[in-house]
Amino acid sequence: MTEFDATITGKVDVPRRQRETRRHSLEQCEGKGSPRVIVLEGDEMVIGSAPGARIRLASKRASRRHVILRLRGTDCMLLDNDSHNGVLLNGVRVHSAVLRDGDVIQVADSVFVYSEG
Amino acid sequence: MAAHVKFWGTRGSIPTPASWTRVYGGNTCCVEVRFGNTIFVCDAGSGIRELGKDLLMRRPAPRELHLLLTHGHWDHIQGFPFFAPVYMPGMKIRVYGRQAGDDSPYRLLSGQMSSSYFPVSFHDLGGSVVADHLDGGKKNIHGVLVRAFALNHPGGCAGYCLSKGGRKIVYMTDNELEIQPGDIFPDLDDSGPLRHAPKDLVEVARGADLLIADAQYDEQGYATRKKWGHSCCFSVTDLAIRARVKHLALFHHDPEDTDRGIDEKVLACRRRAIRHGARLVICGAREGVEMKF
Repeated sequence: MTEFDATITGKVDVPRRQRETRRHSLEQCEGKGSPRVIVLEGDEMVIGSAPGARIRLASKRASRRHVILRLRGTDCMLLDNDSHNGVLLNGVRVHSAVLRDGDVIQVADSVFVYSEG
Repeated sequence: MAAHVKFWGTRGSIPTPASWTRVYGGNTCCVEVRFGNTIFVCDAGSGIRELGKDLLMRRPAPRELHLLLTHGHWDHIQGFPFFAPVYMPGMKIRVYGRQAGDDSPYRLLSGQMSSSYFPVSFHDLGGSVVADHLDGGKKNIHGVLVRAFALNHPGGCAGYCLSKGGRKIVYMTDNELEIQPGDIFPDLDDSGPLRHAPKDLVEVARGADLLIADAQYDEQGYATRKKWGHSCCFSVTDLAIRARVKHLALFHHDPEDTDRGIDEKVLACRRRAIRHGARLVICGAREGVEMKF
Protein backbone atom coordinates (compact mmCIF):
# COMPACT_ATOMS: atom_id res chain seq x y z
CA MET A 1 0.00 0.00 0.00
CA THR A 2 1.32 3.40 -0.88
CA GLU A 3 1.01 6.54 1.11
CA PHE A 4 -1.45 7.81 -1.48
CA ASP A 5 -3.71 4.78 -1.17
CA ALA A 6 -3.72 5.16 2.58
CA THR A 7 -5.28 8.59 2.33
CA ILE A 8 -8.31 7.32 0.40
CA THR A 9 -10.89 5.55 2.49
CA GLY A 10 -13.81 3.69 1.02
CA LYS A 11 -12.24 3.73 -2.45
CA VAL A 12 -14.35 2.07 -5.15
CA ASP A 13 -12.78 0.98 -8.44
CA VAL A 14 -15.23 2.06 -11.12
CA PRO A 15 -13.85 2.80 -14.57
CA ARG A 16 -14.95 5.95 -16.28
CA ARG A 17 -17.77 5.40 -18.75
CA GLN A 18 -17.19 6.77 -22.20
CA ARG A 19 -19.58 6.86 -25.09
CA GLU A 20 -18.25 5.50 -28.36
CA THR A 21 -20.98 7.10 -30.41
CA ARG A 22 -23.17 10.16 -30.19
CA ARG A 23 -26.73 10.62 -31.29
CA HIS A 24 -26.55 12.87 -34.30
CA SER A 25 -29.62 14.47 -35.77
CA LEU A 26 -30.75 17.07 -38.26
CA GLU A 27 -33.76 19.25 -37.71
CA GLN A 28 -35.16 20.45 -41.00
CA CYS A 29 -36.59 23.91 -40.45
CA GLU A 30 -37.09 25.08 -44.05
CA GLY A 31 -37.96 23.40 -47.33
CA LYS A 32 -40.45 20.79 -48.40
CA GLY A 33 -41.01 18.24 -45.65
CA SER A 34 -40.18 20.57 -42.79
CA PRO A 35 -40.47 20.64 -39.89
CA ARG A 36 -39.03 17.25 -39.13
CA VAL A 37 -36.22 15.69 -37.12
CA ILE A 38 -34.01 13.09 -38.79
CA VAL A 39 -31.85 10.89 -36.60
CA LEU A 40 -28.59 10.08 -38.37
CA GLU A 41 -27.71 6.40 -38.19
CA GLY A 42 -25.35 4.12 -40.08
CA ASP A 43 -21.92 4.88 -41.46
CA GLU A 44 -22.99 6.93 -44.43
CA MET A 45 -26.11 8.79 -45.50
CA VAL A 46 -27.05 10.73 -48.60
CA ILE A 47 -29.00 13.96 -48.87
CA GLY A 48 -30.32 14.53 -52.36
CA SER A 49 -33.09 14.04 -54.86
CA ALA A 50 -32.31 10.40 -55.66
CA PRO A 51 -35.07 7.95 -54.67
CA GLY A 52 -32.72 6.05 -52.36
CA ALA A 53 -31.41 9.09 -50.50
CA ARG A 54 -31.73 8.87 -46.71
CA ILE A 55 -32.90 12.49 -46.68
CA ARG A 56 -34.74 13.01 -49.93
CA LEU A 57 -35.20 16.53 -51.22
CA ALA A 58 -37.92 17.28 -53.72
CA SER A 59 -36.20 20.25 -55.30
CA LYS A 60 -34.88 20.95 -58.77
CA ARG A 61 -31.91 22.66 -57.15
CA ALA A 62 -30.87 19.45 -55.39
CA SER A 63 -28.46 17.03 -57.06
CA ARG A 64 -29.28 13.35 -56.88
CA ARG A 65 -26.55 12.61 -54.35
CA HIS A 66 -25.93 16.15 -53.22
CA VAL A 67 -24.37 15.68 -49.78
CA ILE A 68 -22.82 12.70 -48.06
CA LEU A 69 -22.82 12.50 -44.26
CA ARG A 70 -20.31 10.14 -42.67
CA LEU A 71 -20.31 9.16 -39.02
CA ARG A 72 -16.80 8.60 -37.70
CA GLY A 73 -16.60 7.83 -34.00
CA THR A 74 -18.17 10.78 -32.25
CA ASP A 75 -17.92 13.06 -35.29
CA CYS A 76 -20.26 13.61 -38.20
CA MET A 77 -18.59 14.71 -41.42
CA LEU A 78 -20.34 16.55 -44.22
CA LEU A 79 -19.10 16.21 -47.80
CA ASP A 80 -20.35 18.07 -50.87
CA ASN A 81 -20.57 15.30 -53.45
CA ASP A 82 -19.59 17.63 -56.31
CA SER A 83 -23.12 18.97 -56.39
CA HIS A 84 -24.15 21.63 -58.87
CA ASN A 85 -25.44 24.18 -56.37
CA GLY A 86 -23.15 23.47 -53.44
CA VAL A 87 -23.66 23.30 -49.69
CA LEU A 88 -23.67 26.20 -47.28
CA LEU A 89 -22.42 25.76 -43.73
CA ASN A 90 -23.51 28.68 -41.57
CA GLY A 91 -23.92 30.72 -44.74
CA VAL A 92 -20.55 29.91 -46.34
CA ARG A 93 -20.02 27.44 -49.17
CA VAL A 94 -17.83 24.54 -48.07
CA HIS A 95 -16.55 21.36 -49.67
CA SER A 96 -16.39 19.36 -46.45
CA ALA A 97 -16.53 19.92 -42.70
CA VAL A 98 -16.73 18.18 -39.37
CA LEU A 99 -20.08 19.27 -38.02
CA ARG A 100 -20.54 20.88 -34.64
CA ASP A 101 -23.65 21.30 -32.53
CA GLY A 102 -25.83 24.11 -33.82
CA ASP A 103 -24.39 24.22 -37.34
CA VAL A 104 -26.85 25.40 -39.98
CA ILE A 105 -26.67 23.50 -43.27
CA GLN A 106 -28.37 24.67 -46.43
CA VAL A 107 -28.87 22.23 -49.29
CA ALA A 108 -30.91 23.49 -52.24
CA ASP A 109 -34.10 24.97 -50.73
CA SER A 110 -33.82 23.10 -47.45
CA VAL A 111 -32.23 24.25 -44.21
CA PHE A 112 -31.14 21.90 -41.44
CA VAL A 113 -29.79 22.47 -37.94
CA TYR A 114 -27.35 19.83 -36.76
CA SER A 115 -27.42 18.51 -33.21
CA GLU A 116 -25.07 16.16 -31.45
CA GLY A 117 -26.26 14.41 -28.33
CA MET B 1 -8.13 23.20 -61.98
CA ALA B 2 -9.81 23.71 -58.64
CA ALA B 3 -7.93 24.76 -55.53
CA HIS B 4 -8.78 22.99 -52.30
CA VAL B 5 -8.02 24.64 -48.97
CA LYS B 6 -8.38 22.79 -45.69
CA PHE B 7 -7.87 24.23 -42.24
CA TRP B 8 -6.03 21.90 -39.84
CA GLY B 9 -5.08 24.49 -37.23
CA THR B 10 -6.45 28.01 -36.90
CA ARG B 11 -5.39 29.14 -33.43
CA GLY B 12 -2.57 31.54 -32.69
CA SER B 13 0.09 31.49 -29.99
CA ILE B 14 -0.55 28.19 -28.20
CA PRO B 15 -2.75 25.11 -28.60
CA THR B 16 -6.04 25.69 -26.81
CA PRO B 17 -8.07 22.52 -26.33
CA ALA B 18 -11.24 23.46 -24.47
CA SER B 19 -14.98 23.03 -24.60
CA TRP B 20 -15.24 26.64 -25.76
CA THR B 21 -12.89 26.11 -28.72
CA ARG B 22 -14.62 23.01 -30.03
CA VAL B 23 -16.08 24.68 -33.12
CA TYR B 24 -13.16 26.69 -34.48
CA GLY B 25 -10.56 24.37 -32.98
CA GLY B 26 -7.61 24.69 -30.63
CA ASN B 27 -4.71 23.59 -32.83
CA THR B 28 -2.14 26.12 -33.96
CA CYS B 29 -1.53 27.19 -37.54
CA CYS B 30 -1.60 24.69 -40.36
CA VAL B 31 -3.41 25.04 -43.69
CA GLU B 32 -3.35 22.62 -46.59
CA VAL B 33 -3.63 24.08 -50.09
CA ARG B 34 -4.04 21.52 -52.86
CA PHE B 35 -3.98 21.97 -56.63
CA GLY B 36 -4.61 18.54 -58.11
CA ASN B 37 -1.96 16.22 -56.68
CA THR B 38 0.35 19.04 -55.62
CA ILE B 39 0.04 19.57 -51.89
CA PHE B 40 1.28 22.66 -50.07
CA VAL B 41 1.37 22.80 -46.29
CA CYS B 42 1.35 26.32 -44.92
CA ASP B 43 2.95 26.27 -41.47
CA ALA B 44 3.56 23.38 -39.11
CA GLY B 45 1.68 24.29 -35.95
CA SER B 46 0.02 21.56 -33.91
CA GLY B 47 -2.69 21.16 -36.56
CA ILE B 48 -0.16 19.44 -38.83
CA ARG B 49 -0.43 16.30 -36.71
CA GLU B 50 -3.99 15.58 -37.85
CA LEU B 51 -3.05 16.48 -41.41
CA GLY B 52 -0.27 13.88 -41.25
CA LYS B 53 -2.67 11.17 -40.15
CA ASP B 54 -5.06 12.09 -42.91
CA LEU B 55 -2.34 12.10 -45.58
CA LEU B 56 -1.32 8.57 -44.67
CA MET B 57 -4.86 7.34 -45.26
CA ARG B 58 -5.19 8.87 -48.73
CA ARG B 59 -5.02 6.73 -51.85
CA PRO B 60 -2.86 7.13 -53.74
CA ALA B 61 -0.62 8.15 -50.89
CA PRO B 62 1.25 11.39 -51.61
CA ARG B 63 5.00 10.98 -51.97
CA GLU B 64 5.98 14.64 -52.02
CA LEU B 65 4.85 17.61 -49.93
CA HIS B 66 5.78 21.29 -50.15
CA LEU B 67 6.14 23.00 -46.79
CA LEU B 68 5.90 26.79 -46.65
CA LEU B 69 6.81 28.22 -43.25
CA THR B 70 5.94 31.81 -42.47
CA HIS B 71 8.41 32.15 -39.59
CA GLY B 72 9.84 30.28 -36.66
CA HIS B 73 7.57 31.20 -33.77
CA TRP B 74 6.40 28.20 -31.79
CA ASP B 75 2.84 28.14 -33.02
CA HIS B 76 4.07 27.70 -36.61
CA ILE B 77 6.60 24.90 -36.15
CA GLN B 78 5.72 23.00 -32.99
CA GLY B 79 3.74 20.27 -34.74
CA PHE B 80 6.45 19.16 -37.15
CA PRO B 81 8.05 16.50 -34.90
CA PHE B 82 4.60 14.88 -34.67
CA PHE B 83 3.92 14.95 -38.43
CA ALA B 84 3.71 11.23 -39.25
CA PRO B 85 4.76 11.51 -42.93
CA VAL B 86 8.29 12.57 -41.93
CA TYR B 87 8.76 9.09 -40.47
CA MET B 88 7.65 7.32 -43.65
CA PRO B 89 10.39 5.99 -45.97
CA GLY B 90 9.90 7.25 -49.50
CA MET B 91 8.25 10.50 -48.41
CA LYS B 92 9.93 13.69 -49.57
CA ILE B 93 9.14 16.97 -47.85
CA ARG B 94 10.53 20.09 -49.46
CA VAL B 95 11.01 23.02 -47.10
CA TYR B 96 11.35 26.34 -48.88
CA GLY B 97 13.58 29.29 -48.11
CA ARG B 98 12.76 32.59 -49.77
CA GLN B 99 15.82 32.63 -52.02
CA ALA B 100 18.88 30.58 -52.92
CA GLY B 101 21.07 30.01 -49.88
CA ASP B 102 18.23 30.61 -47.42
CA ASP B 103 18.00 27.37 -45.48
CA SER B 104 16.63 29.02 -42.33
CA PRO B 105 13.27 27.17 -42.44
CA TYR B 106 15.12 23.85 -42.71
CA ARG B 107 17.36 24.77 -39.80
CA LEU B 108 14.36 25.79 -37.70
CA LEU B 109 12.81 22.36 -38.12
CA SER B 110 16.03 20.42 -37.54
CA GLY B 111 16.95 22.63 -34.59
CA GLN B 112 13.73 21.98 -32.71
CA MET B 113 14.41 18.25 -32.99
CA SER B 114 17.73 18.41 -31.19
CA SER B 115 17.88 16.18 -28.14
CA SER B 116 17.24 19.05 -25.75
CA TYR B 117 13.73 19.39 -27.16
CA PHE B 118 12.74 16.07 -28.70
CA PRO B 119 13.84 12.43 -28.35
CA VAL B 120 13.98 11.51 -32.04
CA SER B 121 16.87 12.97 -34.01
CA PHE B 122 16.10 14.86 -37.19
CA HIS B 123 18.66 12.69 -38.96
CA ASP B 124 16.87 9.48 -37.96
CA LEU B 125 13.63 10.35 -39.72
CA GLY B 126 12.47 7.78 -42.24
CA GLY B 127 11.33 10.36 -44.74
CA SER B 128 13.47 12.83 -46.58
CA VAL B 129 13.32 16.49 -45.56
CA VAL B 130 14.93 18.59 -48.27
CA ALA B 131 16.03 22.22 -48.03
CA ASP B 132 14.68 23.87 -51.17
CA HIS B 133 14.18 27.52 -52.05
CA LEU B 134 12.10 29.95 -54.05
CA ASP B 135 13.97 31.93 -56.69
CA GLY B 136 14.01 35.53 -55.57
CA GLY B 137 10.77 35.05 -53.70
CA LYS B 138 8.84 33.08 -56.31
CA LYS B 139 8.83 29.72 -58.00
CA ASN B 140 6.70 27.61 -60.27
CA ILE B 141 6.09 24.33 -58.49
CA HIS B 142 4.30 21.77 -60.68
CA GLY B 143 2.47 24.60 -62.45
CA VAL B 144 1.55 26.44 -59.26
CA LEU B 145 3.13 29.88 -58.97
CA VAL B 146 4.24 30.43 -55.38
CA ARG B 147 5.21 33.94 -54.36
CA ALA B 148 6.51 34.98 -50.94
CA PHE B 149 6.09 38.46 -49.55
CA ALA B 150 7.18 40.23 -46.38
CA LEU B 151 4.83 40.82 -43.46
CA ASN B 152 5.00 43.07 -40.42
CA HIS B 153 5.75 40.83 -37.45
CA PRO B 154 8.46 40.89 -34.77
CA GLY B 155 11.45 38.96 -36.09
CA GLY B 156 10.09 38.98 -39.65
CA CYS B 157 7.51 36.84 -41.37
CA ALA B 158 6.59 35.72 -44.89
CA GLY B 159 3.20 35.46 -46.50
CA TYR B 160 2.50 33.29 -49.53
CA CYS B 161 0.39 33.68 -52.64
CA LEU B 162 -0.39 30.48 -54.56
CA SER B 163 -2.02 30.66 -57.96
CA LYS B 164 -2.80 28.41 -60.88
CA GLY B 165 -5.35 28.43 -63.67
CA GLY B 166 -7.05 31.61 -62.50
CA ARG B 167 -7.35 30.42 -58.90
CA LYS B 168 -5.56 32.45 -56.25
CA ILE B 169 -5.10 31.68 -52.55
CA VAL B 170 -3.27 34.10 -50.25
CA TYR B 171 -1.93 33.10 -46.83
CA MET B 172 -1.19 36.21 -44.81
CA THR B 173 -0.85 35.37 -41.14
CA ASP B 174 1.14 36.94 -38.32
CA ASN B 175 0.92 40.41 -39.72
CA GLU B 176 0.15 43.71 -38.08
CA LEU B 177 -1.74 46.16 -40.26
CA GLU B 178 -0.76 49.27 -38.37
CA ILE B 179 -3.25 52.05 -37.85
CA GLN B 180 -2.30 55.01 -40.04
CA PRO B 181 -2.94 58.75 -39.49
CA GLY B 182 -6.53 59.45 -40.52
CA ASP B 183 -7.77 55.98 -39.63
CA ILE B 184 -10.50 55.86 -37.03
CA PHE B 185 -9.47 53.58 -34.23
CA PRO B 186 -11.02 52.04 -32.31
CA ASP B 187 -14.12 52.06 -34.47
CA LEU B 188 -16.41 50.49 -31.91
CA ASP B 189 -19.65 51.59 -33.52
CA ASP B 190 -18.36 50.69 -37.00
CA SER B 191 -19.08 54.04 -38.56
CA GLY B 192 -15.69 55.05 -39.99
CA PRO B 193 -14.36 54.90 -43.54
CA LEU B 194 -12.07 52.16 -44.85
CA ARG B 195 -8.69 52.17 -43.15
CA HIS B 196 -5.45 52.59 -45.01
CA ALA B 197 -3.72 49.37 -46.02
CA PRO B 198 -0.19 48.77 -47.32
CA LYS B 199 -0.33 49.01 -51.10
CA ASP B 200 1.94 46.02 -51.60
CA LEU B 201 -0.36 43.78 -49.57
CA VAL B 202 -3.45 45.06 -51.36
CA GLU B 203 -1.78 44.18 -54.66
CA VAL B 204 -0.78 40.73 -53.47
CA ALA B 205 -4.33 40.02 -52.31
CA ARG B 206 -6.07 41.66 -55.28
CA GLY B 207 -8.89 39.53 -56.61
CA ALA B 208 -7.94 36.51 -54.50
CA ASP B 209 -10.45 33.69 -54.31
CA LEU B 210 -9.48 33.30 -50.66
CA LEU B 211 -7.47 35.51 -48.33
CA ILE B 212 -6.49 33.78 -45.09
CA ALA B 213 -5.49 36.64 -42.83
CA ASP B 214 -4.38 37.24 -39.28
CA ALA B 215 -7.32 38.82 -37.44
CA GLN B 216 -6.36 37.89 -33.91
CA TYR B 217 -7.94 40.85 -32.20
CA ASP B 218 -11.15 42.76 -32.18
CA GLU B 219 -10.99 46.54 -31.89
CA GLN B 220 -10.71 46.56 -28.11
CA GLY B 221 -8.21 43.71 -27.98
CA TYR B 222 -5.85 45.39 -30.40
CA ALA B 223 -5.85 48.64 -28.42
CA THR B 224 -3.76 47.05 -25.66
CA ARG B 225 -1.61 44.85 -27.93
CA LYS B 226 -0.12 47.19 -30.47
CA LYS B 227 3.30 46.17 -31.82
CA TRP B 228 2.63 42.52 -30.94
CA GLY B 229 2.57 41.71 -34.65
CA HIS B 230 -1.12 40.89 -35.14
CA SER B 231 -4.06 42.72 -36.66
CA CYS B 232 -7.53 43.70 -35.63
CA CYS B 233 -10.35 42.23 -37.65
CA PHE B 234 -11.70 45.52 -39.05
CA SER B 235 -8.31 46.42 -40.54
CA VAL B 236 -8.13 43.04 -42.26
CA THR B 237 -11.68 43.36 -43.53
CA ASP B 238 -10.86 46.76 -44.99
CA LEU B 239 -7.77 45.41 -46.74
CA ALA B 240 -9.89 42.61 -48.24
CA ILE B 241 -12.48 45.13 -49.41
CA ARG B 242 -9.81 47.32 -51.02
CA ALA B 243 -8.29 44.29 -52.76
CA ARG B 244 -11.70 43.04 -53.97
CA VAL B 245 -11.06 39.66 -52.41
CA LYS B 246 -13.88 37.14 -52.89
CA HIS B 247 -13.58 35.22 -49.59
CA LEU B 248 -11.88 36.26 -46.36
CA ALA B 249 -11.09 33.75 -43.62
CA LEU B 250 -10.30 35.37 -40.29
CA PHE B 251 -7.35 33.37 -38.97
CA HIS B 252 -4.90 33.03 -36.06
CA HIS B 253 -7.60 33.20 -33.41
CA ASP B 254 -6.53 34.49 -30.04
CA PRO B 255 -6.11 31.70 -27.47
CA GLU B 256 -8.61 33.52 -25.26
CA ASP B 257 -11.23 33.72 -28.02
CA THR B 258 -14.28 31.54 -27.46
CA ASP B 259 -16.28 30.08 -30.33
CA ARG B 260 -19.00 32.58 -29.56
CA GLY B 261 -16.47 35.42 -29.52
CA ILE B 262 -15.19 34.44 -32.97
CA ASP B 263 -18.76 34.23 -34.26
CA GLU B 264 -19.34 37.78 -33.03
CA LYS B 265 -16.12 38.99 -34.64
CA VAL B 266 -17.15 37.43 -37.96
CA LEU B 267 -20.61 39.02 -37.78
CA ALA B 268 -19.13 42.44 -37.02
CA CYS B 269 -16.81 42.16 -40.03
CA ARG B 270 -19.69 41.05 -42.27
CA ARG B 271 -21.71 44.07 -41.20
CA ARG B 272 -18.75 46.30 -42.02
CA ALA B 273 -18.34 44.75 -45.47
CA ILE B 274 -22.05 45.18 -46.16
CA ARG B 275 -21.91 48.81 -45.03
CA HIS B 276 -19.17 49.43 -47.59
CA GLY B 277 -21.11 47.64 -50.30
CA ALA B 278 -18.49 44.93 -50.72
CA ARG B 279 -19.26 41.57 -52.29
CA LEU B 280 -17.08 39.77 -49.81
CA VAL B 281 -17.81 36.48 -48.05
CA ILE B 282 -16.31 36.44 -44.55
CA CYS B 283 -15.91 33.44 -42.29
CA GLY B 284 -13.86 32.40 -39.32
CA ALA B 285 -11.21 29.86 -40.28
CA ARG B 286 -12.41 26.64 -38.68
CA GLU B 287 -10.54 23.41 -38.08
CA GLY B 288 -11.79 20.57 -40.25
CA VAL B 289 -13.41 22.76 -42.90
CA GLU B 290 -12.38 22.37 -46.52
CA MET B 291 -13.24 24.92 -49.19
CA LYS B 292 -13.02 24.50 -52.93
CA PHE B 293 -12.43 27.30 -55.43
